[in-house]
This record gives sequence, C-alpha cells and structure tokens, in this order.
Amino acid sequence: MIRLASFAAMILVWQAASYFADPRGLPGPAPVLLAIVDEAKSGSLFANLAVTLARVMAAFVLAMSLGSAIGYLMGRNRLADRWLDPWLVALLNLPALVIIVLAYIWAGLNEAAAIGAVAINKLPGAVVVVREGARALDPTLDEMAHVFRLPIKTRLRHIVLPQLAPYLAAATRSGLSLVWKIVLVVELLGRSNGVGFEINMAFQLFDVRLLLAYALPFVAIMLGVESFLVQPLERHASRWRGDSARRRY
Amino acid sequence: MPPAGAATLLDVDIKSKDFRSASGRPQRALENLRLTLKRGEAGAVVGPSGCGKTTLLRIVAGLEKDFSGEVALPDHGRLGVVFQEPRLLPWRTVAENLRIAAPQATSMEVEALLDALGLSAHAAHFPGELSLGLARRVALARALAIQPDLLLLDEPLVSLDAVLSLELRERVARLINETHVTTLIVTHDLGEAIALADRIFILSPRPARMAAEIRIDAPRGRMTTEAAKAIEQEARSIIASLRSQ
Ligand SMILES: Nc1ncnc2c1ncn2[C@@H]1O[C@H](COP(=O)(O)OP(=O)(O)OP(=O)(O)O)[C@@H](O)[C@H]1O
Ligand SMILES: [Mg+2]
Repeated sequence: MIRLASFAAMILVWQAASYFADPRGLPGPAPVLLAIVDEAKSGSLFANLAVTLARVMAAFVLAMSLGSAIGYLMGRNRLADRWLDPWLVALLNLPALVIIVLAYIWAGLNEAAAIGAVAINKLPGAVVVVREGARALDPTLDEMAHVFRLPIKTRLRHIVLPQLAPYLAAATRSGLSLVWKIVLVVELLGRSNGVGFEINMAFQLFDVRLLLAYALPFVAIMLGVESFLVQPLERHASRWRGDSARRRY
Repeated sequence: MPPAGAATLLDVDIKSKDFRSASGRPQRALENLRLTLKRGEAGAVVGPSGCGKTTLLRIVAGLEKDFSGEVALPDHGRLGVVFQEPRLLPWRTVAENLRIAAPQATSMEVEALLDALGLSAHAAHFPGELSLGLARRVALARALAIQPDLLLLDEPLVSLDAVLSLELRERVARLINETHVTTLIVTHDLGEAIALADRIFILSPRPARMAAEIRIDAPRGRMTTEAAKAIEQEARSIIASLRSQ
C-alpha cells in the first residue's frame, strides 16, 4: 500500500516538474505514455526489450554460476583464496568501460563479446558475496555430513545451498540492477538493437520522450522480476525461520 | 548377550592425543586408552567433565585424525552419531532431517521410529520450533534411522527432565536389546551407564586414561536392583580413589 502511494507521489512530482520545465527537456507522463504506445504498436518496443532482456539474463546467469563456483571455492579453500584474491581485486577495480572496449577490440563487435563483457563486470561482485557465504558455512554441520557419509549431491542441496541462499539472493539483487545498466552501455557502444541502442538514437535526436519510452518499461520489467521472482523465492527459502526468536541447535 | 567369542567390532587403541593451546604449547587430552567392544555390545564411557570423553568419541567417528594410535572399525560400517549438540538441519523438518540422513529408510520405518521416540506430533516441525530435549530425541532418531553398525552417543539424555530422561533411558535400553546395535555411550551419569551398558569404562581426569573397566554380566532389563547397587558402589569407590590421587 505504502509502496503504491510512494509510486503515485513520484508520478505527481514528475507531472509537476514537467509543467514548469521545457517540454523537450522533460516531457510529462502523458506524452511519454503516448510514445510507449506508439513504439509498442510498431512492434519495435517489444523486439528491443526482448533482445535486451535476453542479454541481461544470459550475462547474469553466466556471471552468477561462474561467480558462485569461484566464490565457493575461495571460501572453502585457503590456497585457492590466496591465489585468486589478487585477480579478484584487479577485476573489482577495472572500470566497466575498459572491460567493454577491450572485449569489443579483442573479440570483435559481436554478441559473445557483448555478453561476455557484461558477465565479467558482474563476476567479481558475485564472487565476493558468495565467498563471504562460504566462509560462514557451519563446520558442525559439515562434520555431521561427514560421519553420516552424505553424498556430495545431498550436501550441496540440503546443507550448503540453504546456508548460501541469503548470500545468493543478495548477489542476485545487486547483480540484476548492475547487469542491466551495463548491458545498455554495451548496446550503445557496439550493438545495433536493444534498449541501449534505441537510447543512443534518442540521444542523437535529442528526444527525451523516446528515451523515457524505452527506459521506463525496462525498469518496470526489472521491478517485476524483483518482486514476483526474487522476493517470493527468498520467502520460500527462509520459511523455516519462525516469527519468534529462532533457536539454533 | 552376544554369543561367546563374537567378533570384535570396535578396537580403539590411543597412545596419545594432544591439543595445541592458544599459546602454542601442546596439551594432552588422552593418554594410553584402550577399549574394545564386541558386536552387539554396549559400552559406556564415564568420566568427569572436561576429561576428554567427547574427544574420544570424535576420534572413533573419524573426525580427529591428528592423534597417535589406532582405531579399528568394520570396513564400510555405517556409523550413527548423536553429537553433544543435536546438529539438525534447521531449514528441514524433523521428518526430512531423518530422510536426508537415511534415504534408504521407508516412510513406514521413519514413522515407526518417530513414534517410538514420542516424536510423531513433531514430524512436520522445523528444529527451531522444538525444545532442546525434543531436538536431542530427533538427533537420536536420525542416528537410529540409518540402521548403524556402530552407534556413538555423546551424553544423549542430558537436558531432559528426570522423568523423561528415565523413560528415554528405558527406550534406548530396549532398542539396544532388540536391534543388537553395537553402542558406545559417553556420559557423566553413572546411573545411565549402569542401566545401558554391558561394559563401563571409567576414565581418569584429564588427560584421560583408562582407570577401570567394569563388566556387567546381566545388563539392562535383566539386572536386579541389588546387582545395580553393587556395581554402583564399586564404580563410586574407583572414582573416589581417582579423586584422592
Ligand atoms: N579443539 C580443541 N582445542 C583445544 N583444546 C580442546 C579442543 N577440544 C577439546 N579440548 C580440550 O580437551 C579436553 C577434553 O575435552 P572434551 O570435550 O573431550 O571433554 P568432555 O569429557 O567431553 O567434557 P564434557 O563432559 O564437558 O562434555 C578439555 O580440557 C578441552 O578444553
Ligand atoms: Mg563432551
């Protein structure tokens, strides 16, 4: 309810601001909505949204699976942690733009370079968070699994994954927003479709209406993914935490 | 009672076990400790708090590798362990905890086991919703569910009220009699040891050495009250002489 009211207030502020501003610099909600409808009718809105969404998902899945594996390894194995840590720090501090440009130069202006560059940008963040989770794994449960000779699959599913779930959720949340922002840059620099490409077009035409018509639907999609996918999954994973203070045995 | 000459199932021969203290000096926890159990026997290890009972159990369970000596267990033998803390998976229900540890157990077996330990009403509860006493019983049920060749119990009946503790003691005694599972119980309650074991191993204060071994010829249900009293007196005099040393 409060979320909805806050959202309505945002629209109102926008409407008010556009009333005083130059309509070319900041169009109001109604013209933007019209532009969205126009673009949707021509079909190009959905085509571009779909292309960008596919890139976001591909880069996200790649970065999360690789990052989780590396982070888990670094959290459990001190030697691996020592070896890989300098690489991690270097990658964390490499500007996104440098990675993107290098990827395009070395691998060419193609889809693999675009998705790879985004994934590499997201990778170190995922590694850091999952490593933190792997370090916090309960050693007493490891001992229990050892004496009961639980197979690897069982350990991962019933012991490791439930403990990592909050960390994976945190990495997902920060990851999705980061990935989609970088995907736009990648599209702007070297792709001929997608939301980022359209925003570049809008920039060259100085058309803020068109820019918002592409940016806002995508923000709405990411908001939907967050509240209808990430949050319910998180609630399901933490349903064992009763509402009172938990006891831990 | 296992037949005479039955095979030795567990043979523990520890020369020494040291822990490194925070200052770096080695501190001896166990020394010259030999104990054996035949198949189907129950042994109880009694000793004062902090003497090294849990350490002994961890060595038998294969969790402490850094000691000098040997532990002989049957190859591929299944081990059921009840740790001093329950160590359940808090994100899985009671029934799931059992099934994860013992995937080969049928749901009938799991239900029967929960019933036998008075846990039927809690099968769908998460461990965080249980009292410590209930959680301990779940840990015991989990260890039994895998139908172990060797059952290791670290003070399984503490933190239960006196009535429940006695009741559960009876249940464990019956389980040992019925399933003939070889069992090693660690406890500091002499009465518990006498009620459950075929052999009682009395440890000295730290570093733990084997101070004495008492064999019980008519264990558990077949023991008369007089026999229990006599054993208790014998054990108490041994423990008293250890203290005065
Ligand atoms: N990981 C460890 N590092 C250093 N010292 C340890 C470690 N584990 C146990 N000890 C020491 O070894 C001794 C024996 O500990 P242990 O837990 O085996 O005792 P216990 O007989 O099980 O005691 P309680 O009856 O209180 O459970 C204690 O003095 C303890 O401080
Ligand atoms: Mg102990």
